[in-house]
Amino acid sequence: MIDYFLIQATNGLVIGIIYSLVAVGVTLIFSILKIVNFAHGDLYMLGGYTAYYAITLAGIPPFPAMFVAMAAVFTLGVILERLFLTPLYSERTERKDEYGIIITFGLAFFLRNAAIIAFGVFPLKPPSFVAGVYRIGALVVTNDRLFAGVVGLLLIFALLYFMTGTIWGQALDAVSQSRDSASIVGINPRRFNTLAYAVGAALAAAAGALIGPIFAVAPDMGVLPNIQSYVIVILGGMGSVGGSIIAGITLGEAQALFTAFLPDMTRALSYSNAFSVFVLMVVLMFRPTGFFGRRHLRME
Amino acid sequence: MRGLHAAILVAGAGLLLGYGHLLNSYWMHVLIIAMFYAILSSSWSLLAGYAGLFSLGHVAFASVGGYTSALLVQFTGIPVPLGMAAGTAACCLIGAGIGWICLRLTGPYLAIFTLAFSEIIRIIVSTEDEVTRGMTGLHTVPLFNTVSRLPYFYTVFGLLAGSLALMGLLVHSRWGLFLRAIREDEQAAAASGVAVARFRILGFAIASGFAGLAGTFYAHYIPVLTPDIGDLDRMALLVVMTVIGGMERIPTAVGGAIGIEFLQEYLRAFGIWRLEIFGIVLLLTMRFARNGLLTPLWLQFVRLGEVRRPAAGAPEGIGTEASPGGSAV
Repeated sequence: MIDYFLIQATNGLVIGIIYSLVAVGVTLIFSILKIVNFAHGDLYMLGGYTAYYAITLAGIPPFPAMFVAMAAVFTLGVILERLFLTPLYSERTERKDEYGIIITFGLAFFLRNAAIIAFGVFPLKPPSFVAGVYRIGALVVTNDRLFAGVVGLLLIFALLYFMTGTIWGQALDAVSQSRDSASIVGINPRRFNTLAYAVGAALAAAAGALIGPIFAVAPDMGVLPNIQSYVIVILGGMGSVGGSIIAGITLGEAQALFTAFLPDMTRALSYSNAFSVFVLMVVLMFRPTGFFGRRHLRME
Repeated sequence: MRGLHAAILVAGAGLLLGYGHLLNSYWMHVLIIAMFYAILSSSWSLLAGYAGLFSLGHVAFASVGGYTSALLVQFTGIPVPLGMAAGTAACCLIGAGIGWICLRLTGPYLAIFTLAFSEIIRIIVSTEDEVTRGMTGLHTVPLFNTVSRLPYFYTVFGLLAGSLALMGLLVHSRWGLFLRAIREDEQAAAASGVAVARFRILGFAIASGFAGLAGTFYAHYIPVLTPDIGDLDRMALLVVMTVIGGMERIPTAVGGAIGIEFLQEYLRAFGIWRLEIFGIVLLLTMRFARNGLLTPLWLQFVRLGEVRRPAAGAPEGIGTEASPGGSAV
């Protein structure tokens, strides 16, 4: 029993890190563009597919393929933001909340159906990053999960460094606090809107590429992480990267252990998702902008 | 001649009722489903377009209504219309509850909350398969004991007409004005004496009730009810229909629902591509014609038969472009 518990705890940690990676993208986009990106799960899905095809068609090894996926989805993020999100910054657009919700919801619909057309509905399994399993005593973890966890953590730390240690990251932070003041000191907010959306998209793509060998890639693989990332972002606070990491790992663990301790396996699996969504609803009831969040600011 | 557009619509409806039996079974089915979607999209436009409450859980109410009615009829043996009434009432109550809980939430937070609600409903319905039969589908008791679709056609037509009449009355009353005031600026509305909380709850209850009504009809029309009725793809389709038609007016939302449902059947040969095309059209509509594609047509249609007055007539922005009331059917 204790072994099963340990295995579940490790799996939960890995999934939690992957979810955090998706969620920090959502929170980054929210803090700059002030929209919730309902298409985030689909960017994650595209990352998974790009890595798959980079490996199988172009013969790129799995780890570099992840960077190919990140670059491709980064570019896609730039294009989508330029094409569809620019009205969010215009003075003349009314009710930007409404625009942001419908346009990203529409993007999700568009991207998911595009994936069904291009890749088919059947799940595909990319090759492993590192084949085999890792054992410590009775604890057995596949190397892919370890790899995904470690690389995921490294990417999150890279993002944290980018946000705090580099001038671009500080400029992003400045834009998130006040667009007007940022433009007074010479930061072009438009460029950083694009950057934020594209970086968020690239992180989602990395998560999709990392999860590929563990589960599989499928057009609807993004639906669940998308909703889980909202749970994380609401728990961790909209706009707070650190909060998202803590909340993501907590959520992954809570779900894995919830599943481990309920006798009815299939029911536990479905209800662990319902449970986290329920937590989200309860938090929203009492803290309408989530825990630790900045006050919800609208794009002016 | 004022009101020409209303006369045309009534005449069209009369023709449809009078000659509906000439339609073949397939197109009658399409028309029935289109009208089911029309109830959903008009009530969603009431909620999102008029009151500005972006619920992504609207189809979940159809699911709640449908399953409540189907299961009640199955387990207690009450007549189907009574089950439908119960399902609708349940949706009104739950809608009011959700509206009450969401009072402090705005914009994207409300959207996330209702998305979460819809996920919970979907998960419960698909997991509790001992009661709901889950993904294999629940065999429901039909509303009429006949193979003909004609009675269903008249029923859904009546439901749609009744719903539209009620919603039309609502949006043209002071209450409709209050809902629009809440959408534009909640604080300003409250300062002008609108009971914001009461009307937000009311808006949710009414719109959810109509969604539930549509769901109960669907449940007793379709022989096998699956949790798909309330999933996210269905919600996306509803957004596509309502936004492409024009979410700020109920008639354009109805037009969007019926138009997209017919296109979906007409373009069946394109398979999944048609959904992709709808996705592109949705994005372009939102980007370049936010009022919806049918809105300009509808405004022209409403003005039919009206004598053109000099531009100095009504003050600009009153009665035409700025009033998303239009004229209800």
